[in-house]
Amino acid sequence: MTTPMIARIADHLCWLGRYVERADATARLLIVTRTLALDADLSAEELWLPVLVAAGEDAPYLARFPGPVDGDQVETYLTWDCGVSLLSSVRAARENAWSVRSTSSLEVWQAINELHLWLEADGRKLFERSRHDFYRRVQRFAQLIFGLTQSTMLHDQALDLLWLGVLLERAGQVARAIDVHHLALFEAPDPAVGAMMWLGVLRVCSAYEPFARRRPGQATGPNVAEFLLLEADFPRSIRFSLTEAHAALTRIAPPGSPAGQRAGAHLRRLCDWLDAIQRDTLATDLHGILTHVVDDTARLGSLLWDDLFSGRAGA
Amino acid sequence: MTPPDAFAGYTPLASAFDELFSAPGLPRPAFERVAASLKAESAADFEHRQALAEAILLQEGVTFSVYADQRGTEKILPFDVLPRMIAAAEWAALERGLKQRITALEQFLHDVYGPQHILNDGTVPRDLVLGAKHYLPQVQGISPTGGVRIHISGIDLIRDAEGIWRVLEDNLRTPSGVSYVLENRLVTKRVFARSFAEAKVSRVDSYPTKLAEMLRSVAPAGVDDPRVVVLTPGRFNSAYFEHGFLARTTGAPLVEPGDLFVGAGDRVFVRTVRGPMPVDVIYRRIDEAFLDPEVFRPDSMLGVPGLMRAWSRGTVTLVNAPGNGVADDKAVYAYVPDMIRYYLGEEPLLAQVPTYRCDRDEDRAYVLDHLEDLVVKAVDEAGGYGMLMGPQSTAEERATFARQIQQTPRRYIAQPRIELSTCPTWDHEAGAFMPRRVDLRPYILSGRDGPWVLPGGLTRVALVPGSYVVNSSQGGGSKDTWVLKA
Repeated sequence: MTTPMIARIADHLCWLGRYVERADATARLLIVTRTLALDADLSAEELWLPVLVAAGEDAPYLARFPGPVDGDQVETYLTWDCGVSLLSSVRAARENAWSVRSTSSLEVWQAINELHLWLEADGRKLFERSRHDFYRRVQRFAQLIFGLTQSTMLHDQALDLLWLGVLLERAGQVARAIDVHHLALFEAPDPAVGAMMWLGVLRVCSAYEPFARRRPGQATGPNVAEFLLLEADFPRSIRFSLTEAHAALTRIAPPGSPAGQRAGAHLRRLCDWLDAIQRDTLATDLHGILTHVVDDTARLGSLLWDDLFSGRAGA
Repeated sequence: MTPPDAFAGYTPLASAFDELFSAPGLPRPAFERVAASLKAESAADFEHRQALAEAILLQEGVTFSVYADQRGTEKILPFDVLPRMIAAAEWAALERGLKQRITALEQFLHDVYGPQHILNDGTVPRDLVLGAKHYLPQVQGISPTGGVRIHISGIDLIRDAEGIWRVLEDNLRTPSGVSYVLENRLVTKRVFARSFAEAKVSRVDSYPTKLAEMLRSVAPAGVDDPRVVVLTPGRFNSAYFEHGFLARTTGAPLVEPGDLFVGAGDRVFVRTVRGPMPVDVIYRRIDEAFLDPEVFRPDSMLGVPGLMRAWSRGTVTLVNAPGNGVADDKAVYAYVPDMIRYYLGEEPLLAQVPTYRCDRDEDRAYVLDHLEDLVVKAVDEAGGYGMLMGPQSTAEERATFARQIQQTPRRYIAQPRIELSTCPTWDHEAGAFMPRRVDLRPYILSGRDGPWVLPGGLTRVALVPGSYVVNSSQGGGSKDTWVLKA
């Protein structure tokens, strides 16, 4: 007899997806900022402080390292040394993978375990030797894991739950990546610096080439923001991520099933709200829109727990 | 010039039976063909294979003692790359003996928790049985749902200096280790592909299918398509790898106590994303003391309140049944040959180890006089704990045990130290094979159709030179076990 997903395991699957995506997002943000730093004509402060702010680590970092912000130190801090570091994301991904070992697949487990073993040993060496290769390697691992979920797991609730986590995390991370630089982006004294920052944000989201195909030669702030927020065909846009997340949640908890209805309705409202956003409000209230996305996806997390993962609904 | 083979300098111990060699350079007849194939390898080859095997186990996450420290250091169960081999005829005899033993033990449990004939006519002392730590008065009078009590057992066997197999102890509660049998096999197939193919080894990978069939066969009456779950204490348990392994290879969800609750009609339910679903069979890997706080440990936060009530009402099958510990008590062990005669009218096929019961005056006097020569064991401990290895003990340790024996004689038994058989085992320091002591834990599944024995089992090996203790908690490791086909 097949059994619907155990509620507790559902929670672990969701977090597994989240943490792999978070590790990937951290690597993306660091590699792009590092590359920008090479020729951006911006101070380390201007480049790296927003990265710390986006991670919510500005206060603890500044308390630990008073004095001028140093890019290399920020990278080390966000990769290894703080509560939301790349390392802690990978560890958490692995812990969750261990809890769902019997529900994911052998290949998914092996890839996550290998990433973890690599990171703690050879990864540290590569970080010192070739930073760029290190981040790329992390990203490759993340994409390998995502690919393996699609190609080796049953396409059932477990896969939907894992991707629910990936997609919600992705929406939040993309919102943060845009928000990191939103002030510099719209208020940059030098338009060339603004354009360069926008291109950097596109690169963080693997969106540089897709954007160029949709909007050739039009890399302005509002265009980039619109693309990353609302582009229906781009798999890392916020709207795409949330629409897919809603579809996954609907398969996990279809209408009429005793659990997950409140979370589903909440996510539906968020998607509808995104659909209704007017282009001109993007320029006037981008920060407000992004904050709403980040806060609302966070609220969804606690709703999912109450309504689905705690196993209390319907009991 | 070819380098000398890796067994060139191997010398079996004079005092023990070596599983592979009857004399230096002389393999036992049943293993000549495999030995010839293995001898084609140099020491460097084995060193390489050993390293490869360890890397595979770590990568696959075949680990234990997970989260033993804050850094999440994990260890693989130490693995020795050279398999232990058992000849076909020898295995056939062992298999018959194991089935006989488990059949008698099953009947003993039904009798003890039922009419108690064997106690009433004095064949086994009543006080010994009812005074056993793991006798559960709460189970008295309950017929187990599904009809079986010992669904899954592991019987520890050793071989003495003459090569005679002897039962060392029975594990009838939640025996562990079978996942290593299957994982070890995957590793040896990778690192010893050629020798393995030539040896013609009985397969072990049918275990999960047999387990799943057995679990379905013991569902409550009237349930055609039972929902089976594996119950683990959680991911911090040292055997969590195995719990997950059993769940995913049988297709049963892996659940923790908090995932289950007892609801309407004393039925057990599991919390899912589609609401509560009824559960029919629970393969529980939780000690029975933590199964149900309503019955066993009111102070315990673990367990599923009401689970024992559901079981006694027959709405759910527990695998293994609660209460089996009374039959694997180390003092009750001494009476298993009598049980076989009593219930089956047969002579025991398997020998066991002579056992002194410290609650008998003359036995206790002998034990206290001969502590230096004996192995003393607490009857209710496992994993190599609560044990005195007389010949290797200090005067202080012996004094401690003497005191404990006098205080609680029922808690102790003593046995002569058996010269456990040895297997050639790779010694990384020496860069050579050395004789190291082994035991064997075969696994037996018993469903509605009677017992089935997994060919082989877990060979545990004492990796420390001179050691007799094979437990993983005490520096032991494991080997793959090859039962050769006839």
